[in-house]
Amino acid sequence: MPSKPPMRPKQFEQLPPCRANCPSGTDIRGWMTTIAQRKRIGLSDEEAYAAAWRKIVAVNPFPAVMGRVCPHPCESGCNRLEKDGAVAVNQLERFIGDWALERGLQHELLESEPQPESIGVIGAGPAGLSFAYQMARRGYSVTVYERYPKPGGMLRYGIPVYRLPEDILDAEIRRIVDLGVKLKLDTRIGRDVTAKELQARHQVVFLGIGAHKGLQLRVPGEAGPGVWTGTDYLSRINQGERMHLGKRVAVIGGGDTAIDAARAARRGGSEVTLLYRRTRREMPAIDSEIEEALQEGIQLEYLAAPVEILRGDDDLLRSLVVQRMRLGDPDESGRRRPIPIEGSEYEIPVDGVVAAISQQPDWDGLDHLQPHEDGDWVRADDRGQVNHQFWAGGDVLNLGIASAAIYHGRLAAESAHGRLRGQPTPDLHRPDPIETTPAKVDYYSEKARVTPRQLPVEDWLANPEAEIHQAVTEEQFQEEVGRCLSCGQCFGCEHCWMYCAHGCFARLDEIGPGAYFSLALEKCQACGKCIDVCPCGFLQVQATERPA
Amino acid sequence: MAVVGGGPGGSFFSYFLLRMAETVGIEIEIDIYEPRHFTHCGPAGCNHCGGIVSESLVQVLATEGINLPTSVVQRGIDSYVLHMDVGTVRIDTPLQEKRIAAVFRGNGPRDAEAQSESFDRYLQGLAEEKGARVVRKLVSDLAWVDDKPSLTHADGPGAIYDLVAVGVGINSNLLRRLQTSRIGYQPPKTAMTYICEFQLDPETIHHYLGTSMHVFLLDLPRLEFAALIPKGDVVTMCLLGDDIDTELVECFLNSAEVRECFPPDLEPLPKVCNCSPLINVAAAEQPFSDRIVFLGDSGVTRLYKDGIGAAYRTAKAAAVTAVFQGIAADDFRKHFWPVCRKISADNSIGKFVFAFNQLFQKKRFSRRAILRMTAKEQVSDAATRHMSRVLWDLFTGSAPYREVLRNTMRPGFMVHLAWNLMLGMVPRLWRVPGDTR
Repeated sequence: MPSKPPMRPKQFEQLPPCRANCPSGTDIRGWMTTIAQRKRIGLSDEEAYAAAWRKIVAVNPFPAVMGRVCPHPCESGCNRLEKDGAVAVNQLERFIGDWALERGLQHELLESEPQPESIGVIGAGPAGLSFAYQMARRGYSVTVYERYPKPGGMLRYGIPVYRLPEDILDAEIRRIVDLGVKLKLDTRIGRDVTAKELQARHQVVFLGIGAHKGLQLRVPGEAGPGVWTGTDYLSRINQGERMHLGKRVAVIGGGDTAIDAARAARRGGSEVTLLYRRTRREMPAIDSEIEEALQEGIQLEYLAAPVEILRGDDDLLRSLVVQRMRLGDPDESGRRRPIPIEGSEYEIPVDGVVAAISQQPDWDGLDHLQPHEDGDWVRADDRGQVNHQFWAGGDVLNLGIASAAIYHGRLAAESAHGRLRGQPTPDLHRPDPIETTPAKVDYYSEKARVTPRQLPVEDWLANPEAEIHQAVTEEQFQEEVGRCLSCGQCFGCEHCWMYCAHGCFARLDEIGPGAYFSLALEKCQACGKCIDVCPCGFLQVQATERPA
Repeated sequence: MAVVGGGPGGSFFSYFLLRMAETVGIEIEIDIYEPRHFTHCGPAGCNHCGGIVSESLVQVLATEGINLPTSVVQRGIDSYVLHMDVGTVRIDTPLQEKRIAAVFRGNGPRDAEAQSESFDRYLQGLAEEKGARVVRKLVSDLAWVDDKPSLTHADGPGAIYDLVAVGVGINSNLLRRLQTSRIGYQPPKTAMTYICEFQLDPETIHHYLGTSMHVFLLDLPRLEFAALIPKGDVVTMCLLGDDIDTELVECFLNSAEVRECFPPDLEPLPKVCNCSPLINVAAAEQPFSDRIVFLGDSGVTRLYKDGIGAAYRTAKAAAVTAVFQGIAADDFRKHFWPVCRKISADNSIGKFVFAFNQLFQKKRFSRRAILRMTAKEQVSDAATRHMSRVLWDLFTGSAPYREVLRNTMRPGFMVHLAWNLMLGMVPRLWRVPGDTR
């Protein structure tokens, strides 16, 4: 056992896992601690909420939307997870988002002077709108071209209303439009405006067309009535079309689109079976959504893949031939590869089939802008730049969650702004997040994670448009915000100050998250106690020797 | 009632108070405020002392029905080895029994692999069994609401209590904050000590240190007392004196007498944990007021030794007062303060004894006299072990300092000391029986 070096402390703010895991890079700890510490730093509830909202919208203009639909990877890394459940970041974001909508909070411009350049955005989805928002805040004149009659992209046409009510989406988009962003709806590139015109009109064009083209199953019998892709089916429903797929519907796929399509079909009155070629463990869909689908009476068939669709003489669907699978070795995604079992085929009777296996960008009418003839996906640098005029982001780069698309939009805006203004582009380096030990987490008293109210299960299908999950109450919100451990940033617990017998710590006059005590090492005896009793890990061992 | 600090003072207070209240049929609720966890290794879960429970305390606790479980005792100590430049002598426990317990106040040194049973945790558990509630919150101030004390935390004001017992030790900054004119409390005067721990395998420790506590009387300025205490796979080193600094620690560690207690090829020594805690060297002023009382180190404790024993005595006195007399300043003055004053008075004698001891350490011939006298006694019959008894009591903290002084005043001690001092001046007679060197 070697001798341990002296343990002199340093105050060192570190990246918390929530922020590290957030595709948008939201300063989650920052906005939560602002609210949690509001009384000590002299903010009223309203001031703290507003400050928190501003921190969120600095990177994500859709807190009320994302607070509902994001699969919240932020929560999966939460250091509180093992103790008594991760902080319910998603619920809290929704509360703050709704609160700001109720109060009519508006976005603020970053630059007061308008910029001379004109910016074009193709696609009013999360990536395009995020880009438009970030450019508009920086003083640019922005025009967004959208092929559909309403803005929102997949947020509107891919997510059912029981998860995301339209008025919420409308309101958060309206706030971006209020910054002066021009929306040209129902406008197709190649039909209503040519790609050439677009390139002449705008100094910078952002490509955020998403991936709206659902992939086909490529099985015999697929062509013809009664077979839909998941995106097409959901898009039609969300545009108000009444779709009844028949008595018995099979949905193929294991992602969120598959679950959404299955639940939509169930709401249409069908008996729904969802077929997935792997097992529940490998399913990419949000776990709670799968759980809710089961509660709605949707049958899940694992290790099953369609091999043929059989039609009757009238060309109507008769049944689906399904082959059993087994799991082999992990593939490049880390999930175990499904392997067909020869001779295991069986038939299930169906009246409709929805294939929600995957999707890709739809270049219809955009041929001139398609960067590669050989592929469907856009290749860009790590800041989203495609060439001197084009930036891209969202699903057109690769399939991802909305939070990633919002990040792409911001990153591209920062990059384009830097390029136009001759300023440095953003640093993409992210340090390793702090992982606190169970011993550290002991310092926080146990407090159960909030359980928001939801509609009774029996009302879900009876009331297909009603939002299932209810918001947390303000009281629950304040309690839950207080569960944030403030990993890697001082929250003024006073342990160091109280336990240092040598007076190295002193209270600061101006306090706030991350700043409660000054540290002077002249009298430090290097016992390291302050480091050990610092619950959030803000105090770390200093590598250098005693100061001269 | 609230108890601030879940160390021995706080736990003893809660335990006795609840026990006595139960006997007389009073219902009392106690919240012990202790944010730290004794299950944590290193200084975070520790209370910064050498971890010796004295012989007399072990006995007194036994009469209270508190028997230290063997899992708490890291090593039973049955003897002291006195190291001086002139030689080494072993002093066995007067009663030939392993009666001193070496314990971990927390959960052992930093990064300790094995989970150790903490002494403080054990006491806290006793208080909890009696019904005390442990609240994992740091108290950072005290406020008064309608003449009742209320505890303040980092995030704002907390609960209001009828009585607050402060047992936060001497290393907490809370004491400085309680120095208000309202209660007239003045925190104790302090000196900085040094404690560190070396991790070695148990066989090595047993080979070099055995089941003895090793005490060093070296002629190093500012060093009053130094000891090595063997525990499971750890050796605890304690240096007491007048503001121990790095230089003095180095000097001590490099002395031949200390190096002999470790394997010769061990360089550097495998230090795994260190701290420089403050100790109470002069009692607090007025460690009580209406509805507030200060236990153990926060108020009055024994000089250098047996802090846990002092915590026990002051905590019990405070508990007795609160249950049977009252919680006003006058009640504490009449029934709690005399116990403190007695300890304080004994400390004055202790200071004199330590000064005397320092004087003896300074001269080579007098060091030889102590060594010779002790060594001779150790091989003779127990009845005449004058010096052994004095040193034993002085180093273990088993007896009040006044008793130590009284023993040095006995004619037998005087005569023998004078004789040995004389012999000490004659180099020819240096060799002493029982010298282990």
